[in-house]
Amino acid sequence: MTDNFPGGPVKGPFDPSSSANLADASRTARAEDPTEVPPDSAAVPLVKPTMAVMAEVVPDVQDVAEARSLWMDAWITMRRRPLFWISVALIAVFVLMAAFPQLFSPLDAYNIKDACDLNRARLGPDADAIFGYDLQGCDVYARTIYGARSSILVGIFTTLLATAIGVLLGTMGGFIGRWIDTLMSRTADIFFAIPLLLGGIIILYSFPSSPDTPYLLQVFKVVFAMAVLGWPNIFRIMRSSVMQVKPAEYVMAARALGGNAPHVIMGHIIPNAIAPVIVVATIDLGAYIATEATLSFLGIGLQNPIISWGIDISAASALGYVRQAPHMLIFPSIFLSLTVLAFIMLGEVVRDALDPKLK
Amino acid sequence: MRASRVIMAAASAAVFALVLSACGSGAGDGGDAASTGSDDAATAGSDGAATGGTEVSIRGCTPENPLIVTNTNEVCGGNVLDAVTSRLVHYNSDTAAPELDLAESIESTDQINFTVKLKQGYLFHDGTEVKAKNFVDAWNWAAYGPNGQLNSYFFEPIEGYADLQCADEECAAAPAAEAMSGLAVVDDYTFTIKTVSPTSNLTVRLGYNAFAPQPDAFFADTDPKKANFAQLPIGSGPYKIVENDDQAMVLEKFADYSGQYPGSVDKVTFRIYDSTEAAYTDVVANNLDATDQIPGPQLIGDLWKDDLPDRWGTKDTGVIQVITFSPIDEQLESIEMRQALSMAVDRALITKQIFNDARTPATGWVSPVVDGYKAGACTACVFDPDKAKELYDKAGGYTGTLTISVNGDGGHQEWAEAWCNQLITNLGLDCAVNATPDFATLRKGINARELKGLYRGGWQMDYPSIENFLTPIYATGASSNDGDYSNPKFDDLLKQAAAASSNDEANALYQQAEAILGQDMPSMPQWYQQSQFGYSTKIKSLKMTPFSTFDLGSIELN
Repeated sequence: MTDNFPGGPVKGPFDPSSSANLADASRTARAEDPTEVPPDSAAVPLVKPTMAVMAEVVPDVQDVAEARSLWMDAWITMRRRPLFWISVALIAVFVLMAAFPQLFSPLDAYNIKDACDLNRARLGPDADAIFGYDLQGCDVYARTIYGARSSILVGIFTTLLATAIGVLLGTMGGFIGRWIDTLMSRTADIFFAIPLLLGGIIILYSFPSSPDTPYLLQVFKVVFAMAVLGWPNIFRIMRSSVMQVKPAEYVMAARALGGNAPHVIMGHIIPNAIAPVIVVATIDLGAYIATEATLSFLGIGLQNPIISWGIDISAASALGYVRQAPHMLIFPSIFLSLTVLAFIMLGEVVRDALDPKLK
Repeated sequence: MRASRVIMAAASAAVFALVLSACGSGAGDGGDAASTGSDDAATAGSDGAATGGTEVSIRGCTPENPLIVTNTNEVCGGNVLDAVTSRLVHYNSDTAAPELDLAESIESTDQINFTVKLKQGYLFHDGTEVKAKNFVDAWNWAAYGPNGQLNSYFFEPIEGYADLQCADEECAAAPAAEAMSGLAVVDDYTFTIKTVSPTSNLTVRLGYNAFAPQPDAFFADTDPKKANFAQLPIGSGPYKIVENDDQAMVLEKFADYSGQYPGSVDKVTFRIYDSTEAAYTDVVANNLDATDQIPGPQLIGDLWKDDLPDRWGTKDTGVIQVITFSPIDEQLESIEMRQALSMAVDRALITKQIFNDARTPATGWVSPVVDGYKAGACTACVFDPDKAKELYDKAGGYTGTLTISVNGDGGHQEWAEAWCNQLITNLGLDCAVNATPDFATLRKGINARELKGLYRGGWQMDYPSIENFLTPIYATGASSNDGDYSNPKFDDLLKQAAAASSNDEANALYQQAEAILGQDMPSMPQWYQQSQFGYSTKIKSLKMTPFSTFDLGSIELN
C-alpha cells in the first residue's frame, strides 16, 4: 500500500531535477526553474517559500491548473466522482443525526415514558412508528435515530486516538530510526498480532461497564479498547511513508538550510507523508463502528439503557424474533450498514484520488 | 447446600439462554442430530420388526453426575431416575398430590415417630425384593458425610443426621456414627423413622428421588462413589436402564413390575442434545418423538404451535420467580417503598408480551401446583399505578439509579427491562438492568451481599408442599434467605405448622405464615412458571408432570 504513495510531487510540467529542491510540495505550488525567475526575487523561495511569494510568482510564468498541489489535485479528482458525494452526504446526515437526533425524531427515545409502551411490543410499522416497535414496545425509528450517536462517537474518537498514536510513533520511528524504530516496530507487531475483536473482548471483560457508568466513560472504554489495538496499522503506514519522504530533496534542503528536527517534521515530512494514513484511517473508521456494534451485540460494549445499534440488533436477533418481527432487526442493521459503507466508500474515493498509480 | 436447588431452577432458565446464543450453530447441530435421528429411526425400524415392541425417543441432556438418586439434583439425570426408581410415595402426574407407592402405610401420632409398612412382592430390576433394610441402609449411606452426596440434606430432619456429618470440609476425622439413630428396621417390611422435631409433611417429602431404596447390588459395589453401579443403576421402577453412554440413555419396560404406575411403550430412548433448539427442530421434523423444552423466542406469537400443529402441550409447574430487595439498600427498607415497587408493575402485561402467557402472574409466594396453595397472599401484587405513586411519594422516593440485577445468560433481560420501564413510567424513578455475565457471578454478588437495589430469585420445588416454598427461603437464617428476612412471628408459625397433627391444620398455619409475608414484603412475587412441550406425529398423547418431566406411563401412540 505504502509504495503507492510517494511523498513528493509527482505532477507538473517542470523539470524535477532543477526545481524540486527549491519548493515544498505540500504548499500551493512548486517553484519553476529558477532561471526564469527574476534575479531579485529568486532568493526568497530559497530561504522560505511562502504562500504570498508563490502566488505572486506562479501566475507570471506558469498555468495555474498545472501547478496544483497533491491535495488540490485530489479534490478535483474526487469532486467528479458521484460516489464521493453520496458518501459525504450519508456521513453528513449521520453526523447530524448523532449531534441533533431531535431534528430527525420528535420522540425522545431516552424518554421511556413516551417512547415505550409494552402494549405495542413487536408491532410492525404503522403511521405513528414507520419502523414499528421493538420487544419493549419502544419506537424503533426513534431508537435507531438516537442510536447513531454512540456509533459515530465511538468511530470518530477511536479513529482520532488510533491515528494520533500511530502518526506520532510512526513519525518518530521512521524519522529517528535506529533502536527507537526497532523498539516501536516490535511493540507494534505485538499489538498487531492481537485480533481487534478478540482483544476488545478481553479488555472490556477486564474493565466491565455497569448501568451506572456515565455515558462518556462507557464510550471511552470502548474507544480505548479499540484504539489500543488499532494504532499499529496506522503506525506501520506512517513509518514507511516517513521513510520514503525523508530522503527527498526538499527535506534535505530544509535541513541544509538549518531547519531543526521539529520544524522539518511538522513542516515537511508529516504533510507529505500523511496521505496514505488518511485513506486507511477513513476506511478503519467504518470498521471501528462495526466492531463497536459487535461488542455491544455481545453485551460487553455499551450497556443498557444506552441506546446503540449493536444493543438493539442483539436484542432482536433471536431466531424466533426474526421470524415474528423482522423489522426490529432490519432497521438498525440498515443504518449500521449504511454508516459503515459510507466511511469505507469515502476512504476508497480518497485513495483513488491520492494514489498516482490508479490514475 | 440448599443453594444448589436455586441453581437448578436457574439452570433450566440458563438452557433458555443457551438456545438464544446457540442460534448461530443451531443449524449445524440440527443437521447432525437430524442425521443421527434418521440412522436411529432406521435401526429402530428393524429392531421394532424383530421384537414387535413399541418405542419412543425423548430429548435428554447430559447428567451432571453419575446416576445415583442421592447425588442427582438436576433434571438431566432426574428424568431418567424418575422412571427407573420407585419411592415410598408417588406424586400424581396431574396434581402432584402424594400417593402411596412402595409404602402400604406411613403412620404417626405425634409427627415425630413414623412407622412405614411396605407392600410385599415389589422387585428390583435384578430380581431381589424391596425390603425395609434397602431403605434404611440407602439413607444412612447417603447421609454419611464422607460419601459427599449432594442430596444428603434431605435427611436432615431425621434424628442422628448430625452425627454422620464431617467436622470440616476435608472430612479429616470420621464422623461420630455411621447410621442415623432415628432409623430402625422392625422386620422385612416395616421400619421406623424418628425426626428431630415435628415434621407433619414428612410423607410428602418421601416421594423425592433421594428417598428411593437401593438394592443389595448397590452396597456390593466396591467403588467408594458407587460409580460401577451408577453406570446402569438398578431400581424398582417401571423401566430399567439398559444403555447409558454420552449419546443416549435407553430404558426398557421392566417385565416384573408389579406397582400401580406401569410404563406404556416398551422402549424409551433419552437421546442427548446439547441445544434445545436442535431438539425442537428434530421434533418438528419428526426425527425425535418428544421435547420438554421449547426455545423461548419460538413462543412469541405462538410460532411453536404452528410448527407443531396439535402436538404440543403446556403444564403448570412448581416454579416461582421473585424479585428480592437487597438487604444492604437502606432506601428499600420501608414497606411503602416495597409495596410501591410491586404495585407499579403490570405483571399480566409482561407475562403476555414478553412470555406469551407462558408465565402466570403471581398472587403470593407459593406455587399453585402444591398442596396448601391459597391465592392472594400478596396484596401488593395487584397492579395499581396511582396507589403505587402515592406510596412511593410517601416513602420519599428513590435517589440514584435503581438496578435490577439478573444473570445475563438466562434470558432474563427482556422482562427485567420491561419491569424497569414500568417503574420509570409509573413512578418516575431511574431504573436500569444490571446483567451479570453468568449465573455464578450473580449468586456470588448476592451471597456476598454486595448488590444493591433489586435482584432476581427463582425457586423450583423439591417436593410438592407449601412448606417447601416458605421455610428454605424466608425462615430466619435459612440457607436461601437472600433478603435476610427475619420475623419471629413467621418463624413461630412455621414451627407450629410443622408440628401440626393433620395436613389441613399444617396448611392453614403455613397459609397464616404466608400472609405475614404479605405484610412484610420480603420479596416481590413475579410469576409462576409453565412448561411447554412438543411431540412427534407418532405420539397420540403424553403428559407432563408438575416437575417438568414427562410421565412415561401416559404415552399413547397413534
